[in-house]
Amino acid sequence: MGLPHLLRPWVFPAVLLGLLEVAARWMVPGSDALAPPSQTVLAFGRALTAQGDDSVLQATAFTLTSAALGLLLGAALGLGLGIVLGLSRRAAAMGFLSIEVLRPVPSVALIPLAMLVFGFGYRMEVSVVAFATFWPLLILTQAAVRQVEPQLLEVARALGLSPWARTTQIVLPAMVPRLFIALRLGVSIALVVAVTVEIAANPSGMGYAMMIAQQSLAPDLMLAWLFWIGVVGYVINLATLRLQRAVAQRMGEINMEQTP
Amino acid sequence: MSASPLLRFDQVSIHLGGREILSPTSFEVARGEFVCIIGPSGCGKTTLLRAAAGFLQPSGGAALRHGKPITGPSREVAFVFQDYGRALLPWRTVAGNISLALEAAGVPAQERPDRIAKVLDTVGLSAHAAKFPVQLSGGMQQRVQIARCLAQEPELMMMDEPFGALDAMTRESLQDEVSRLVQSTGLTVLFVTHDLEEAIYLSDRVIALRANPTPDKPSLAAMVEVKIPRPRDQLLTKEHPEFLRLRRELYGFLGHH
Repeated sequence: MGLPHLLRPWVFPAVLLGLLEVAARWMVPGSDALAPPSQTVLAFGRALTAQGDDSVLQATAFTLTSAALGLLLGAALGLGLGIVLGLSRRAAAMGFLSIEVLRPVPSVALIPLAMLVFGFGYRMEVSVVAFATFWPLLILTQAAVRQVEPQLLEVARALGLSPWARTTQIVLPAMVPRLFIALRLGVSIALVVAVTVEIAANPSGMGYAMMIAQQSLAPDLMLAWLFWIGVVGYVINLATLRLQRAVAQRMGEINMEQTP
Repeated sequence: MSASPLLRFDQVSIHLGGREILSPTSFEVARGEFVCIIGPSGCGKTTLLRAAAGFLQPSGGAALRHGKPITGPSREVAFVFQDYGRALLPWRTVAGNISLALEAAGVPAQERPDRIAKVLDTVGLSAHAAKFPVQLSGGMQQRVQIARCLAQEPELMMMDEPFGALDAMTRESLQDEVSRLVQSTGLTVLFVTHDLEEAIYLSDRVIALRANPTPDKPSLAAMVEVKIPRPRDQLLTKEHPEFLRLRRELYGFLGHH
């Protein structure tokens, strides 16, 4: 009895949307903050077909490109440096102070500096995203290297693997489960920071489009963007999970669910 | 050259964390010999093996291979770890794990498949080349590790309680397999175990160590030759009068008093 299994997760959102519709239409009509979901859907439809900078496609592409490039940069640097710091106690001791001083700087506090250096556009957004994703990737990579099964490193020594082969054939693959945790964290940080930069400063992307809607007193469009950003984040998270499963399968179903 | 034995320990002592694990110990291993080291837990038998493999440096004395000090691990020396589960790369197949030894030795990619097939055939795992370690039983995983060591084509194989975690049946069949392998290849083996019967059954010579050495009771408790003919047999050899005599002689060194 009851609802079919597949419908169950949709009950709560449906009830919520219904209540929102009722509230927006009859309790606070003409509000500047709330718009009924039905109008939000219509506004989103208009934005979809719009041309130019505020079209959904363009704004989404801008945000995702910035987030992806920033993550790529931050992850590459964090991964590289994290491996070095993880493998060498001396390097870790040398880097400790600089890392502990720079790491707590909130990444969005870098927006004014990035704006001065790069101006508006991709470069400033990419640089802030890269800064924000660099630290967690660095710290998690460093920890992941230290947690590589010591016996495997001994096997590498016994077999006479070169330091390069030891890194690429033993350390990196052994880190993969923990690296995926870092990557998923990095992906969500990248998206959050990219949208934040657009809301705060950069006149492009989804965050900026949402700000414009808010400033032109169009709560329906603003909510449409909010909803869309949520959808994009969900899809990206899903894609990362899929990637993780595909990699796990190729690597002999290694245990991906271990905690860092 | 032939004057220096394959492996020679000359008054080797090892201290770890301020404690003397191994008091000055001397012995030699000749080419083609199968030598077992037994002793109660904490007697330093694994430490001795690790020093012989070059994983750690003696605190005193000299560990020599072919008359030269052992400064680090060498491809001429293979090491079979007790914990096969943590010594195999879980993300590589059986063939991939064996390939690792060939990659380390710089064997060209086109020669690897043949050599992998050869060692897999030797340990009877040809049918499982494409499987991942988790898909294999403990005994088979340990066979993969042995195959990887064979692929290295070493002159000396160190085995650190390799069958300690296996059930009795698997252990006996692996003992016979290793015996056969060593006889057919002429490999020299240094084998650590706490199983007295395993030690006598496998070796040409047994070295017994004692724990907590003192000046008048050094680490090296006894060294006996095992003159039981080969090939040996799990039933007949273990009923051989010499086997029973050695068992009785060495029994006290394993903490049974």
